[in-house]
Amino acid sequence: MSTPIIQCHHLSYSYTGKAALSDVSFTLFAGELVGLVGPNGAGKTTLLGLLSGFLPAPSGTLVLFGHQPGAAALSGKVSALPQDAKLDPAFTIGEQFRFYARLQGLTAKQSTTEAIRVLDAVSLVDSFKQKPDTLSHGMAKRVAIAQALIGSPELILLDEPTAGLDPVNTRNIRSIITELSPTTTFIISSHDLTELDRLCQKILLLENGLMSTPQLNAAGHNTLTRFITLQMEPSPVADVIEKFQQLKGVIQVSSPQKNEYIVQYNPDIEAKMDQQVLGCIVDNAWQYRQLSQGKTLEEKLFFNGNE
Amino acid sequence: MSPGFLRHFLLICQFELTRLFFTRKGLLYLITFTFVWCFILFYPLRYTADILAQEKNVAAGGSLLDFMGWGSLLHWHIPTLAVYWHFALIIFPILTIFTSADQTCSDRERGTLRFLGLRASRNVLFFGRFAGTMLSHALLVVITLLSTVAVTVYQDATLFASAFNSAAAIMVNLLIVLLPFTAMMAVLSTTVKSARQATIWAILIWSFLAGIISLLSVYLPALGHLEVLIPGYQMATLSQLSQWQAIQLAYIPLLQSVVLLSLGCWIMHRKKL
Repeated sequence: MSTPIIQCHHLSYSYTGKAALSDVSFTLFAGELVGLVGPNGAGKTTLLGLLSGFLPAPSGTLVLFGHQPGAAALSGKVSALPQDAKLDPAFTIGEQFRFYARLQGLTAKQSTTEAIRVLDAVSLVDSFKQKPDTLSHGMAKRVAIAQALIGSPELILLDEPTAGLDPVNTRNIRSIITELSPTTTFIISSHDLTELDRLCQKILLLENGLMSTPQLNAAGHNTLTRFITLQMEPSPVADVIEKFQQLKGVIQVSSPQKNEYIVQYNPDIEAKMDQQVLGCIVDNAWQYRQLSQGKTLEEKLFFNGNE
Repeated sequence: MSPGFLRHFLLICQFELTRLFFTRKGLLYLITFTFVWCFILFYPLRYTADILAQEKNVAAGGSLLDFMGWGSLLHWHIPTLAVYWHFALIIFPILTIFTSADQTCSDRERGTLRFLGLRASRNVLFFGRFAGTMLSHALLVVITLLSTVAVTVYQDATLFASAFNSAAAIMVNLLIVLLPFTAMMAVLSTTVKSARQATIWAILIWSFLAGIISLLSVYLPALGHLEVLIPGYQMATLSQLSQWQAIQLAYIPLLQSVVLLSLGCWIMHRKKL
């Protein structure tokens, strides 16, 4: 990792006296894929708004590529999908995309090619000559994502990118992010923790305007204890917990929600716990849906602390 | 001024002109404006100009226009342009209030300003929109003036050179007059949520500010000078001046514009996009 692209120190922001962010500090490096999570009203959109330059200067230090957010030097370098922002209904999508591309420094000819390219990326190239108000909610969202891809932004801030999208388009957006992520830094705010678990290497957790950076270890390696998360078909809870508990090396078994079990075990005693668990399921004629190493992001962040 | 600023500024101006000529709303406005202008040109303007031409033959001080306080109309070489000047001083500022009200407000409410803010600075957005709106006004002023000159020259071809000189004087003075009106609407647009709100606020500010200043100046006459803050304050005097004489009062709208644009820029930096 080289020079940080975002340096945020003791950032605070309030709306008419109500603190939205309090003393937030973090540093991000180029190429990182970062998830921003937290409950409603935690300050996620405020933080993304500050990074994008949508909100007036806060107290504390916030520097992107060595500049204040919203600086002219960041034009084309930083891009964003703002929450609930809509395009101008007076112009076609193509006209607006060409205009945005021109503002980012592209020539008239390049701007047309670029507008078609980004619309094609979200499978909406046919909407080039359409007005924004003719689009459905999901299509408008995809168009808004497409505008964030214009040019070659080095940092893309996405606020709830897949909310309201159908599974096929969610997958498409995910693959666009994965494809660009080696060269582009992403900060993705989302409530879809499964999505973030798949995509992100780093998580920033905001709660009541306060930030923490949980040290996530996807599979729970290099720790004294490891976890297996198991999604089961309906089965007798007490019986399942009791049988798993009897397996060699198991420290604790819990059922945080219906048909979900977390098995905590000591890998020094039993390294192949997944096989033991599957054997136990077969022996008892139970059915399972999914078995995964480690805890889910939801468990890591919001229940029982870190591993 | 960085090259980036100038480039963005010109692009935003150009886009605002596109809004006037190539969007449904803009075209509807242009068509309505053309119909209204044709009516004004062929009826009130032409007939008033005819009356004015007859009044010119009346002895100085004895004219009906002198009696009504419009004697200054007789100082113009071309009656049609004299009437145009008086019409324009009323029509264009009113039109400006309505057509300049939505410089940034609906884009802010919709979130469109966020897409633009990612690519251009707040300064360039504010000044670019203002300049684009002024350019639209300038085009309408030029079109109306050219049509008036065309009617004049059609009636008397010898007036061609004189008509162009007067038209140039009117154009420059009229655009200077419209500057603070457009700047005022730019400021209001940064603070309110819709064009309608901006228009209502403009009317309220103009009437209340004028009323309050008049009331206060009764008790403290020095406060009467505050009237200089109101855009259009010089209009009554301006209508008495003809052609290039009107430039004497240009400092008032120019100063008002500088103050209003600075205020608008300050607000723009403190508002969320």
